[in-house]
Amino acid sequence: MRLLFAAALSAMLFAPVAAVTARPLVLAVGGEPEGGFDPITGWGSYGTPLFQSTLLRRAPDLSLVGDLATDWTLSPDRTRWTVTLRDDARFSDGTPVTPEDVAFTYNTARDAGGLVDMAGFEEARVSGPHEVQLDLSAPRISFTSRLATLGIVPAEGYGPGYARAPVGSGPFQLVEWREGAQLVVEPNPYWHGGEIGFDRVSFVFGSEEAGLALARTGQADLVAVPASQADSAPQGMTPLNVETVDNRGLMFPMRPDTGQTTDTGAPIGNDVTADRAIRVAINQAVDRDALVTLALAGHGRPATGPADGLPWDNPQGGIPGADPEGARATLEAAGWRDADGDGLREKDGLSAAFDVVYPAGDSTRQALALGVAQQLRDIGLHVTPNGRSWDEIRALMHAQVVVMGWGAHDPSEVMNLYHGSGAGAGYFNPGFYSNPTVDAHLEAAERAPDFEASLPDWQAAEWDGTTGFGAKGDAAWAWLVNLEHAYWASDCLDTGARQIHPHGHGFPITHDLPDWRWTCEE
Amino acid sequence: MSWARPLVLGRLVRLAWLLPLAAVGLFTLISLAPIDPVQAYVGDRTALVGSDQRAAIAAAWGLDRPATERFGAWLGGVAQGDLGRSITYDAPVSEVIARRVPASLALIGTAFVTSFVVGTGLGIAAATARGGVGDRILRSLAVVLSASPGFWIAILLIAVFAIALGWLPSCCAAPPGLTLAEVGIGDRLRHLVLPVATLSVVGTAPLILHTRQRLVVFLDGPAAQHLRAHGLTERRIAFGAGLRHAVGPALNLHLAGAGELFGGSVLAETVFAWPGLGQATARAATGADAPLLMGIGLSTLLLVFCGNLAADIAARIADPRLRHPRP
Repeated sequence: MRLLFAAALSAMLFAPVAAVTARPLVLAVGGEPEGGFDPITGWGSYGTPLFQSTLLRRAPDLSLVGDLATDWTLSPDRTRWTVTLRDDARFSDGTPVTPEDVAFTYNTARDAGGLVDMAGFEEARVSGPHEVQLDLSAPRISFTSRLATLGIVPAEGYGPGYARAPVGSGPFQLVEWREGAQLVVEPNPYWHGGEIGFDRVSFVFGSEEAGLALARTGQADLVAVPASQADSAPQGMTPLNVETVDNRGLMFPMRPDTGQTTDTGAPIGNDVTADRAIRVAINQAVDRDALVTLALAGHGRPATGPADGLPWDNPQGGIPGADPEGARATLEAAGWRDADGDGLREKDGLSAAFDVVYPAGDSTRQALALGVAQQLRDIGLHVTPNGRSWDEIRALMHAQVVVMGWGAHDPSEVMNLYHGSGAGAGYFNPGFYSNPTVDAHLEAAERAPDFEASLPDWQAAEWDGTTGFGAKGDAAWAWLVNLEHAYWASDCLDTGARQIHPHGHGFPITHDLPDWRWTCEE
Repeated sequence: MSWARPLVLGRLVRLAWLLPLAAVGLFTLISLAPIDPVQAYVGDRTALVGSDQRAAIAAAWGLDRPATERFGAWLGGVAQGDLGRSITYDAPVSEVIARRVPASLALIGTAFVTSFVVGTGLGIAAATARGGVGDRILRSLAVVLSASPGFWIAILLIAVFAIALGWLPSCCAAPPGLTLAEVGIGDRLRHLVLPVATLSVVGTAPLILHTRQRLVVFLDGPAAQHLRAHGLTERRIAFGAGLRHAVGPALNLHLAGAGELFGGSVLAETVFAWPGLGQATARAATGADAPLLMGIGLSTLLLVFCGNLAADIAARIADPRLRHPRP
């Protein structure tokens, strides 16, 4: 047996590796940036920036590695990054990448008012022939994510037309962009990152149906497909289901209803969900595996936190669920009892009844709301699913439970969701969650000397043994599921090791496009 | 052509009050739409953009100012020939429209000609066979077509010709993987077939019925009987004198319906991933992109206006009785 194994292994090792021939690749994964390919206004925060390179990049395990940077250090007071650049990087027009270009990019992005969140960034300065300094106004370790997403543009030649004729030091250069139809790119001969396995890559835009039709006629090599189509790949293609942190959960209003309203007149507070026992019991009762089967047709995994599986996640803070007995005990202990025998619990004359609001056009969230309502009836909570438009939800979300979804490769999302300073601002923290201990952990994380060192503090914010925003602590949310993103990939396409994907189905799969290989002989 | 001057002048006066009225109406509708343009701009990246940055985006695009002020600024720009900047496409509105007009014109123009030729032709055929089996089939077809929603026809065409038979491409304006220079004219025409067919249906059905009706009246009239007495065949009467009789009003009807064709193109372009103005309209609407929607709306208004004017002129050329309306 062992001999057989050894023989098989050596056969695998010494088998002639299929010659990698460059060939064109056609992708239909959406993600067309209508505004063009300008990193300064937000291009490239998900997936590969194609044309530009970044100072750092995230490896498949989401750790940070250098791209343009060979060394990066944070000053002792945590407000100054000193970044050393590699000296062999060139833009696709052949000119070298200089620290001036980096400083120009960061300073321009700060003033642009685009989609790059540069809050807390002060100024970038050239400090040596291959060195640049980035100054922050206050310690902010999550700014590291900017280093990994902001593509560098050439100071010379950047202008109003840049977004539609991008020049950068990334793996590809633009050949043609027919807006609304197709983007054609070819490898950048000056790229510092190695060989690319394709002599041309085309991105077909338009509708999802168009992508499916192209796949069925064999004209596309990788397409994003809806979950319902995940398993029915046409001949020559394989279903590719990618794990994500594209999560869905129940956001709870944390305050009791005291008649308070926001500036726009929206009511704040919900007396039922303001009780921690209710929120914990919901986390204990929901059967997340059943919800994955019901709402996602099995294409997903249970969610217990906002960043399941990412480095700053703390699985200790979650409650796995599917424990109605435990949930009933929690409710009994807190005084929620069914005194009148109608199957519904009350406490001090208040019924344990609330709405779960979901955006009416989203069938996944609808299925989650219905499934949760069914499961919670079992423990004596009366939940009414309620489909509304996002506009209505904006007025309801401070007083009603809402099915929401997040998931980013950036811990500042955790900050936005749970820090007390953001209570009531936008969609992040509509429940007015605020806990000084959690705030302190989050602030400590932002003050960390480097990204690795910040991880324990992010995790402590979720659960530090006594409190946290996680289900064992304040249970500010009941996270339910993480979606899987479904694709069909050609049998011949090797997309290598993949990251856990963020919110947003489609273009994020291209993150490691330069490493993809074609494994069939032509 | 003495009748043409007062007609055109009158219409220009009408346009002078119609345009501002439409501008105000459109802007009011867009401002009232329950879409937050900043949220639409942020889109998928909600998790990455904090509230301070949202404020910065609103300020950069002037969305933090009151609606009346924004309208005033837009109007001031238009007076100087500047249609404003599209937030969706991050480019001047005039540029976005200019980039997308050729694809749309190719689609709308081909559909316009196709539906006119097919509609009139079938109408005449139905009239010559009036009362017969062919007439009944054509009339039923016309009624079914005019009752069918465009998106349904599109799905049907894709299911039959693209997926089941595999004859025609179901998407896009060109085959994937090629640059425009590499795409041959044959390929482009093949990609035009299904979208044009979908779009033509809107105009074809009324034309069949209308032309048939006009021609039946003519063929049963004394003029046709006279021609028949001279020994002309039914077909020659229909496609000779009959055609001249029916084509003027048909053209009039067809030109007046140019606006519907534009509306239909929004749908056809969305279904077939056609990179034209219709696709941009759909994106601008979901993004509450006021300057772009205003630009497209007003240029559509101009287009429809010109269509109607052309229809009236064509009708007067075809039918001398209309040139001097009796007092």
